[in-house]
Amino acid sequence: MTFDLTLSVADLLLLLPEIFLTCWLCVVLIVDFSCPRLPHTRLAHLSVVGLAITLLCLAWFDVTRVSGTLFNNMFVLDRMAIFFKMFIVGSTMLVILTSTQYVNRFAFFRGEYYFLVVMSALGMMFMVSANDLLSLFVSIEFSTLGFYILVGYLREDLTSNEAGLKFFVLGVFAAGLLAYGISLVYGETGKLVFSDMTPPATPGAMIGFLLIFAALGFKIGAVPFHSWIPDTYHGAPTPVTAFLSIAPKGAAFAILIRLFLVVLAAFKPLWVLLLVAVSILSMTYGNIVAIAQRNIKRLLAYSGIAQIGNVLIGLAAGTKMGSDAILFYLLTYLFANIGAFAVVIAVGQAIGSEEIDDYSGLNRRSPFLAFAMLLFLLSLAGVPPLAGFIGKLYIFIAAVREGLYTLIVVGLINIVISMYYYLVVVKKMYINEPIDPSPVSVSGPMKAVVYIGLAGTLAIGIYPQPVITWVVDATLMFSRAIGPAAGVAPSLPLFGG
Amino acid sequence: MSAYLLLYILFAPFAGALALIFVPNSRPLLVRGVAVASSFVSLVASIYLFYAYDAVRGGFQFVQKFPWSTELGIALHLGVDGIGVPLVLASAILLFAGVFVSWHITDRTKEFYIWLLILAAATIGVFMSLDLFFLYFFYEMSVIPMYLLLGMWGSHTKKYLEMTDPEGLKLRDSVGFIFNFGANSKEYAAMKLVLFLSAFAVVALMGILLIYKYAGLNTFDILVLREHAQLMNIPVLGTTLDKIIWILVFFGFASIAPIWPLHSWSPVGHAAAPAATSMLHAGVLMKLGHFSIIRVAFEILPETTRELMPIAAVLCVFSIIYGGLVAFYANDTKYVIGYSSSSHMGYVFLGMAALNYISLSGAVIYMFAHAMATGMLFAMAGWVYDQTHTRDLPSLGGLSNKMPFIAGCFVVGCMASIGMPGTVNFIAEIMIIVGSWNKYPLQVIVAVLGIVLTLAYLFKMMRAVFYGPMSQKYSYTRDAVAMVDRLPLLVMIAVSIGFGLFPVRLYDVVRSGVDPLVAKITYVMPVAQRNEDSDSGRDDRTEASSLIPLSEMADIARPSITYALRDSQ
Repeated sequence: MTFDLTLSVADLLLLLPEIFLTCWLCVVLIVDFSCPRLPHTRLAHLSVVGLAITLLCLAWFDVTRVSGTLFNNMFVLDRMAIFFKMFIVGSTMLVILTSTQYVNRFAFFRGEYYFLVVMSALGMMFMVSANDLLSLFVSIEFSTLGFYILVGYLREDLTSNEAGLKFFVLGVFAAGLLAYGISLVYGETGKLVFSDMTPPATPGAMIGFLLIFAALGFKIGAVPFHSWIPDTYHGAPTPVTAFLSIAPKGAAFAILIRLFLVVLAAFKPLWVLLLVAVSILSMTYGNIVAIAQRNIKRLLAYSGIAQIGNVLIGLAAGTKMGSDAILFYLLTYLFANIGAFAVVIAVGQAIGSEEIDDYSGLNRRSPFLAFAMLLFLLSLAGVPPLAGFIGKLYIFIAAVREGLYTLIVVGLINIVISMYYYLVVVKKMYINEPIDPSPVSVSGPMKAVVYIGLAGTLAIGIYPQPVITWVVDATLMFSRAIGPAAGVAPSLPLFGG
Repeated sequence: MSAYLLLYILFAPFAGALALIFVPNSRPLLVRGVAVASSFVSLVASIYLFYAYDAVRGGFQFVQKFPWSTELGIALHLGVDGIGVPLVLASAILLFAGVFVSWHITDRTKEFYIWLLILAAATIGVFMSLDLFFLYFFYEMSVIPMYLLLGMWGSHTKKYLEMTDPEGLKLRDSVGFIFNFGANSKEYAAMKLVLFLSAFAVVALMGILLIYKYAGLNTFDILVLREHAQLMNIPVLGTTLDKIIWILVFFGFASIAPIWPLHSWSPVGHAAAPAATSMLHAGVLMKLGHFSIIRVAFEILPETTRELMPIAAVLCVFSIIYGGLVAFYANDTKYVIGYSSSSHMGYVFLGMAALNYISLSGAVIYMFAHAMATGMLFAMAGWVYDQTHTRDLPSLGGLSNKMPFIAGCFVVGCMASIGMPGTVNFIAEIMIIVGSWNKYPLQVIVAVLGIVLTLAYLFKMMRAVFYGPMSQKYSYTRDAVAMVDRLPLLVMIAVSIGFGLFPVRLYDVVRSGVDPLVAKITYVMPVAQRNEDSDSGRDDRTEASSLIPLSEMADIARPSITYALRDSQ
């Protein structure tokens, strides 16, 4: 195999967002080093501007339908990659906005914080474009590197250190699994590029893919691979937790969709069983353990595990509609989760606590935050007319078309279980009286994030059609790839866009 | 203008709730003003709807259809038939009354009205949805406001666990017994209500998803599904698919109705809720169950309905008797009314189970009538609670000295609830009893006994609250004197008695909705023949109703109430 490394300018256009962001990152770092007196919020604004320009560039790609491959298919820019890049860049922007106040808690390296966040985002942008096992490995490690540092950023805080160490040890273990899986798969197929691969049904290849799935399962926090999630989410600085709970999951799902719907399309009967099992375990475990939580970050961590179980239903459906539903669901999850974490950060700043008991009477202390949190939690629970409900229903519709009744029944039961613990938080905020009735103030950027979260949650919930059109369009390439096993092939013109 | 009538009714409360977000809590009068204005728009529009609905033509009218998602096959498809119209009217009346009943709420007034308006708008949305997705959407949307209304403005049920039966055994709440978390608090009531309703809502959602999948039409539209869905004779799990779907849909929606084994959330919720919420809850929220069963199970699976509806006929007996007996022994005003409501919902199930023109019309009219009667009773129980801060029957008494107006209205409310001639409840009860007699004589005997039981517990409560010696501590209580306090009661009494004396319009409207439905259920053609017919305008409902042999209709309608029942033929 020879790599053709001659590049034309037109080819580099596909890399424009990444190239631009890399340059901008260097600028941020240089500004940080050269002006040590500069308040770190300026760096935050600088990073947000850079990300916003990247987002605009991606939106332009999306509108003009730029697509193509680079470096012998190692890097692919299709519409799904653009969707996930926008997802990652958008969530990174919101995370940086929520961080501006929080960063004051760090004793050192405030400027580098923004650098590391954007660097992780850059890694994930490469990850969603990875079309090759090598670029997959490199980009995953690239993005995780930033997170290893970010999770342990509160140097004086023991829980943060513990979180960082736990994340690092398990993360490196997952990287080992990934590398081993890649070597097995390469050994069996002799190919690295996803779309060229025709994996044989040998134990070696299957074990290899299983190991790759385990490594990605670690990224998304699905149940057998979830053990790092609660402690890491609890100990990490809250904006990092928010980042960790959204962006890597999106990036990992981009890979999972490519892996299962392109490479392993022929093995669908086999991996459906795997995904059904993982999905049921994630939903049930996440929701049941979340009931016992007393800390809001841990609650959101377990609820995140359960949400991932829901997304996996869409993957288990294994159709184009299933992948639409995944994209849609992740978008609703983005708005609800970033909003919920923004409220957690704002409340944490004001009252210095992340215990659910300290949310008592939040409605009297800050009606705005309480109302926003109510809507975010209900969206996560899947209550109409909020985005989460449409997301769940989309997933269920995709699954019911494939006849995955067990999954749907378990998913529906889990909606009810999750309703309980979300409502416990609602009860604290709305029904209980506050111990300390002093009002809670919200800073400007935080308010902006909460408003964006509210707008997304409500707008998608009330009129989802534009977003549905977008996600249906973003996964058009899978309408071919899945083939007749999907069972919906005859009716494709009805909903194929 | 009238083309968009349903949109006005549905979105006026939503718009009110939205406007209230921008009204500061420091101006309570403006808050109430916005709430009154939006509920008034809704009320006027629904009264217009009631009289503008063409009962001769029948079918779904004022239909609005906006595509919502083409990929998922969802459209905001609104329309009302003769069954929906009275229920929309009842919701609007109760919302209007409820706004006035909650006039004296001072704690977080704005939030209260926001959630009340959303609750009412969501229930109205269910009554006009012609799309399974939106039916579920509004149904589920009405649950969360209940949680906040109960939790934030509700009252604790102090005496609940002390409720005893004559042998001195403690009566306890079944679910509270299992998950015993502060089983007599309003938080418990609110949580139980939401979890119960959500749990059964997802059961119904499973049924809806199965309909969607097996119809294979990529649509949730009820009108399309009822014509073209082929759900019969698909073997699944040792039975057929249509039966499974029917059971899921029936029990999913019957839990909110609430039918007997699934009722336990309801009285707890009634008791904890503030007055206006109890009114909407008992008045219209519970009817979502019957209505959704009619709309989904009756419309889409008529053959299965005919086969399986006897389940309801069996369970309704337990509803009537159990609810009545608990109401008789309960010592809490709101429990009495709450259990009486769940007992009375058994009549609706009986009327639905008998599946003929008279009984089903009776069931629909009963839903309307019960909304008014129970709305009155809850409004007055709320007033008494606000004045005395207790709902405990033994400690109350003699309040008619202090509140003659309330006492007078209470008598009227009890009469309406019992079904005295002159109230619309009488018409409805008679129609259910007469219509069901041929098919379920045993149940009818139980239903009549249930009326006697109703008489007993309501009179017992009336005596305990308003007559007898009055405790000195209630000397500060006062009557409803102001117009805002009297208006809601007067409106509900006027509606109840008005339709009791002049029921013809209500009857015509309801019959226009019931006739094609019953015709479809009782005179079902073989599936093959139906397929051939499906092209030739079978959705013309007047034509469908002409299939009924007139002789049979006369047979059912003959009994002595013909003075009230103008034959629509």
